[in-house]
Amino acid sequence: MLIVVCIKQVPDTTQVQIDPVTNTLVREGIPFIVNPYDTHALEEALRLKDQFGYRVAALSMGPPNAEATLKKALALGVDRAILLSDRVFGGADTLATSNVLAAAIRKLHDEFDRVGLVLCGKQTIDGDTAQVGPGIASRLNFRQLTLVDRIVNLDPVGRKIRVSRKLEGRHEIVETPLPAMLTVVRELNRPRYPKVPMRLAAAEAIVEVWNNQVLKLDEQSIGLKGSPTWVSKIFSPERAKGEILGDGYGDPEGTAQLLVGRLLSQDLLAL
Amino acid sequence: MKALLIGEYREGKLLESSYELFGFAQQLGAETALLLVGSDSQLPAFGGTLYLADANQCGEYNPDLHKQLVLDAVQKENPDYVVFLHSSYGWDLAPRVAAKLKVAQVSEAIGLTDGGFEVGCCNAKMRRTVKPTTAKAVITIQAGAFPGLQPGGTPQVQKITASVESNVSFSGYEPAEAKDVDLTRAEVIVTAGRGVGKKENVPVIAALAKALGGELGASRPVVDAGWVEHSHQVGTTGQTVSPKLYIACGVSGAIQHLAGMKKSDFIVAINKDKDAPIGEVADVLVVADVLQFVPALTAKM
Repeated sequence: MLIVVCIKQVPDTTQVQIDPVTNTLVREGIPFIVNPYDTHALEEALRLKDQFGYRVAALSMGPPNAEATLKKALALGVDRAILLSDRVFGGADTLATSNVLAAAIRKLHDEFDRVGLVLCGKQTIDGDTAQVGPGIASRLNFRQLTLVDRIVNLDPVGRKIRVSRKLEGRHEIVETPLPAMLTVVRELNRPRYPKVPMRLAAAEAIVEVWNNQVLKLDEQSIGLKGSPTWVSKIFSPERAKGEILGDGYGDPEGTAQLLVGRLLSQDLLAL
Repeated sequence: MKALLIGEYREGKLLESSYELFGFAQQLGAETALLLVGSDSQLPAFGGTLYLADANQCGEYNPDLHKQLVLDAVQKENPDYVVFLHSSYGWDLAPRVAAKLKVAQVSEAIGLTDGGFEVGCCNAKMRRTVKPTTAKAVITIQAGAFPGLQPGGTPQVQKITASVESNVSFSGYEPAEAKDVDLTRAEVIVTAGRGVGKKENVPVIAALAKALGGELGASRPVVDAGWVEHSHQVGTTGQTVSPKLYIACGVSGAIQHLAGMKKSDFIVAINKDKDAPIGEVADVLVVADVLQFVPALTAKM
């Protein structure tokens, strides 16, 4: 059985800055990272590989430089790493993205090994839509299990999986036959670090690149043309409307005194 | 324009947040119909068509069955929009419905602008306006982004049911881990954000919380980094709080965090960046080095 993990290269949003003049995202110098939720999906796949001997393939759709993301997956021990990259895939929204990922998973299933599980992070930190995993499940007709925080049991003989889903204030325990697509939350596990020999081996290992000559998807279903949502505007939220108090850098003591005065006047101290 | 709103019951009770769907529909200027999987013992004050399925029969959540209920109502109502809350329920069900209808989905709308839906991106540093191009669209709305609105009236109830073989079998609920702090009851919360820099600096923030007789809160990155226990997390994936005083220290203000604390009575933000999104909800903003300013403040308590 093959486990497919979908990972995305994203800008490290904690380091994203806004240009105060143009009010747009400063892209230069922003490091790219593996979407943090996807690292937990990858870890879970590797644990299942350790336990049951399954093979693991990592998939990523993105520009050529997203190869770095897949090299990291190779360093952690995935068996195959495939970059889905083509100009015609560009400008894709979630629906067009899931079309490409689903096609690649189907190809792996037909030509490499039977796919039993697809693992994705619960969302990405740049787009935040949480739609791609479910989109893949719908297209492949796999069972969809979102917000998974624990795999309770995987039954390789009965081909069933039992998981805990993290809901508001409680967990839901559900079971479903394979194949299934899981989106995972951070509580699922603690990702491992690559071991040095693996890292060295990964530097030599090859990331396969599949373009649309390989996937042969109808151009109406991919990229900008295959995207039923379009982004008309990207902008930064309205400027701070809170009153700026004192001079916190130049005079922390005086500013602290101002703040205490304000809290006292609002009757907020000694609550 | 018409919107089919998908409300939510939990443990037999209509969720208050379901009324935010009406607030959203009003801003959209849409006529509304409502679908609930609940019981007729507690119906919302709403004068329109209510498609009501019995939670005892259909389960609180059964993905394949609930999807079919929504699809049946879509066929009857032919709405322009199918609107869910961005809860775990909407999170799981909305994309199933969108895929089946072959329509666009917009996740976690926080506003309406320029004929599109405003959503956050890049950890709330940016917003974008997304426009669906399909005839219908599926939308989920962020908790707390739209005002709750009770339309009033008595619904015309249409009882609905569906029989679908489900591929997912439900075997029960388990309670969430016991929380060692209940931030929802705290009157003062002092929250540590990523701006505190490292785990060793968290006690600086905790000391201010203690001096104010309050509780320590934490933003998601701080919890994810393991600096503070998850039970202290404020935000949509942690606890939603509304204390009398909320002091955010080095919290930039991701949408999910703001949704969890913006109803606090008085909000102080201490941040090095005067343009951080936290400033949008703060009453008072102190632009400072958190590690320099917070001890100065604590010393005056």
